Amino acid sequence: MTSAVDPTFNIASSVAAKPDAPPAPTKIKVEGLNFYYGQNHALKNINFDIPEKRVTAMIGPSGCGKSTLLRVFNRMYDLYPGQRAEGQVLFDGVNVVGKELDPTIVRTRIGMVFQKPTPFPMSIYDNIAFGVRLHESISKSKMDERVESCLRKAAIWEETKDRLHTSALGMSGGQQQRLCIARTIAVQPEVILLDEPTSALDPISTSKIEDLIDELKQDFTIVIVTHNMQQAARCADITAFFYLGELVEVAPSDVIFTNPKQIKTRDYITGRFG
Amino acid sequence: MASLAARRAKDTTIKVISTGFAIFAIFLLAWILWTLVARGAPALKLTVFTNVTMPPGHNGGLLNAIVGSLIQIALALVIGGPIGLLCGTFLAENGKGTKIGSAARFVNDILLSAPSILVGLFIYQFLVIPFGGFSGWAGGIALAILVIPVIVRTTEDMLNLVPVGLREAAFALGAPQWKVVMMVTWRAARAGIVTGILLAVARAAGETAPLLFTSLGNNSWSVDLSKPMASLPIAIYQYAGSPFDDWVALAWAGALLITVGVLLLNIASRLVLARMK
Repeated sequence: MTSAVDPTFNIASSVAAKPDAPPAPTKIKVEGLNFYYGQNHALKNINFDIPEKRVTAMIGPSGCGKSTLLRVFNRMYDLYPGQRAEGQVLFDGVNVVGKELDPTIVRTRIGMVFQKPTPFPMSIYDNIAFGVRLHESISKSKMDERVESCLRKAAIWEETKDRLHTSALGMSGGQQQRLCIARTIAVQPEVILLDEPTSALDPISTSKIEDLIDELKQDFTIVIVTHNMQQAARCADITAFFYLGELVEVAPSDVIFTNPKQIKTRDYITGRFG
Repeated sequence: MASLAARRAKDTTIKVISTGFAIFAIFLLAWILWTLVARGAPALKLTVFTNVTMPPGHNGGLLNAIVGSLIQIALALVIGGPIGLLCGTFLAENGKGTKIGSAARFVNDILLSAPSILVGLFIYQFLVIPFGGFSGWAGGIALAILVIPVIVRTTEDMLNLVPVGLREAAFALGAPQWKVVMMVTWRAARAGIVTGILLAVARAAGETAPLLFTSLGNNSWSVDLSKPMASLPIAIYQYAGSPFDDWVALAWAGALLITVGVLLLNIASRLVLARMK
């Protein structure tokens, strides 16, 4: 298979070409990335630019490597011996895949929200404060402010303000997921990775999260993995299509979903496989 | 193919037999409990709790044995609890697929089923003889060795039940591993871990063999850990085999006390599980 990504294609400039969007510098630059689960070669020579303060969606059939790539960005693979990455993922010019960089620092600046809501077994307030206390020691009143502002940003303040000190496990799935987003924001990262954040949620919760993503891109660079192509079309400025560990095509979402260059991409988005 | 009638007959037969054995087993347990209450309850006078061992006919009690047992169990908990908890945590969080992890798990499984008299013998060899005598320390440490494998196993099992996603979520916030373990995974598994510790203590409370040649027993009042120390199981062992009626009655009272204590611990652990879930 020839390199599917048009080498002359520049995402930043193509986004800039949209009349309502100012030029977006590259936040994460993936260069020659290969990833292995033991012997299994899961990502093959990925080259990929993620623009700042945009929503980038990664789509593709199960096992295509999109979640794997997401977990490379915040070094989540480091938790598991036998998983390794080769190549470069430049985050503001620093290679986050480099062994010498402490993964906890990477994870502070690149936050992640998971498929299943993962509230910690503590109060709503402490769920937010947990991450903040890891990195900052701030006064009670400053913490109160931080908790409120994060819950507001995650559009869940109204539902939680009267029960901040009750267990987060008593919330609905959709509320829990917005709490997880609030918790991630609280650490003040620059990038938020979303790994199929709505696949365990009902349609109403899903649309709340999608609205939220739209809000959050004012302040954060967002990368979202999704199985739902409508979701990618709705939320993402840029969409990347992965297949069998390779990046097949990356382009502005309206181009990918209306006029893809690659036959594989067209077959996938029209539902011929996947 | 067997006819419907034959299959029904087989089904009924199996049901009758298994129900019969179930009733038999419950009957045996009920008999033991009944005997215990019938013989123990009348002997359970106030002096059992206020008096120490006395010569036969002098209205002796079990105070020294009750306090001795509590001290040694507390010692076992203080020594064995942290070791078991940390070892179980290591096995669940770091020891997967490592050589030291597999070795520790294997040894722990053996310890779990080791005869308790062996533990007593071990402590006798390495603590009692070198330090010149039986002591409360030796008894408590022997009990600690008994509770450790139980706590290791339940801690590991309970931590393994914590979803991987919860750990990853904590790591994703930039938490170092020790904080992930202490603030998130322990907290998520705490009901199970506390239950495991309570059950381990309940098991140790009734052990006689490891105390026989470690803390030995003591007929006088003593809370000095460096001296031989009385305990309920040893007191029962001494009294039950004696020819004196009032001593035998005390043995039954002691047995009833242990059983009620273990029962209360079991109920407590169930309450802990129910409340924390």
